[in-house]
Amino acid sequence: MAKKKNPILKICLIFFVIEIALVYLSGNFSRKLEIGFSDKKFVIRHIDSEFNLQDKISEEFQIDEYYAHHGEKPTLWGSSKLYDFFDRMPFDSTPVGTFQLLRMLLIVDILIMIIVILIRRFLTFKPGKPQILFEIIYGSLEEFVVETLGKDKVYYTPYIVTLFLFLWICNMIGLIPIPGFMEPTRNLNVPLGLGFLSVVIVHVSAIKFKGAWHHIQNYINPVKNPLFLLDIVGEISKVVSISFRLFGNILGGAIIILVVSSLVSFVVFPVGLSLFFGIFVGTIQAFVFTMLALTYIGVEIGE
Amino acid sequence: MELTLAQGIIKASALLGAGLCMGMGALGPGLGEGFVAGKACEGIARSPENASLITRTMLVGQAVSESTGIYSLVIALLLIFAVKI
Repeated sequence: MAKKKNPILKICLIFFVIEIALVYLSGNFSRKLEIGFSDKKFVIRHIDSEFNLQDKISEEFQIDEYYAHHGEKPTLWGSSKLYDFFDRMPFDSTPVGTFQLLRMLLIVDILIMIIVILIRRFLTFKPGKPQILFEIIYGSLEEFVVETLGKDKVYYTPYIVTLFLFLWICNMIGLIPIPGFMEPTRNLNVPLGLGFLSVVIVHVSAIKFKGAWHHIQNYINPVKNPLFLLDIVGEISKVVSISFRLFGNILGGAIIILVVSSLVSFVVFPVGLSLFFGIFVGTIQAFVFTMLALTYIGVEIGE
Repeated sequence: MELTLAQGIIKASALLGAGLCMGMGALGPGLGEGFVAGKACEGIARSPENASLITRTMLVGQAVSESTGIYSLVIALLLIFAVKI
């Protein structure tokens, strides 16, 4: 068999190099280390090791406010002019935080695409390990969809699987130890958008299956539904509850990892914490988000 | 950083409120999750062939009942970081 050239590996490599260059240029890698000889001993010392814990937390989580408060000029792609340009935009913009969030979302999207293309290309009758893993994920989620919505509405499966994969990779990408890498779900906007989207899908499918007038009557007609005001509040609280749960779990885990690892800087203990909060809590929360989105649909249009 | 008395009182009460919020908010989820885990243990002891299904349901239920604790965490973070003096 002739050896085929694999373009996806090349794409991965180019992407990785670009990402490393971006990390260097955007200035997140400026850890001030002092390397040299002192008293005939080879030392590596962190120069500004006297830090305030609250400063450290706000540098990690509110980077624009941190820079504005400390009077330091932040850079975007290594240039401060670009930062000034985005800062002078008419809407309320926070350039560095937005740039990091968008970069992480883009990385997650490209990862999902690469994984899906690889799985799809090497689809075989006798499955390998990755194919078995993804068949298990797809099969079990499809089973849930069939259980909740019924056999004729199995076409909701791709949405559910995409939601699960996206949130799973989002929650686990904080494990990669490159400075500036963060979970996109740590920002409230991402879970809030996904929760809003899931409630919109609930209502669109309810209108599709029950008819527009029949569905809207539940929310405006006091004769048919005496507690219609409570239902309206309930729809809003659905979005809030589903998104704040994910956001609070991921943010709390990240803060706990940061605090513990600055208290015990030279012990490997935070690795275990990172594994717990990254893999265990991340998987559970992605699964819970997906299951709740499915249940909301099932309450409206289930059999 | 010099604080006036009023600013000091605001900052101190925000921090105190954050501590109280976390402490009281952790009571309910702790009780609830322990209850769920105990019931799941009983269920597994009664029918060990359903162990995986029970474990999965238990984890999802615990994650849902944890959400009140997470709300109090969000409120505590707001009190610590978002109260400007």
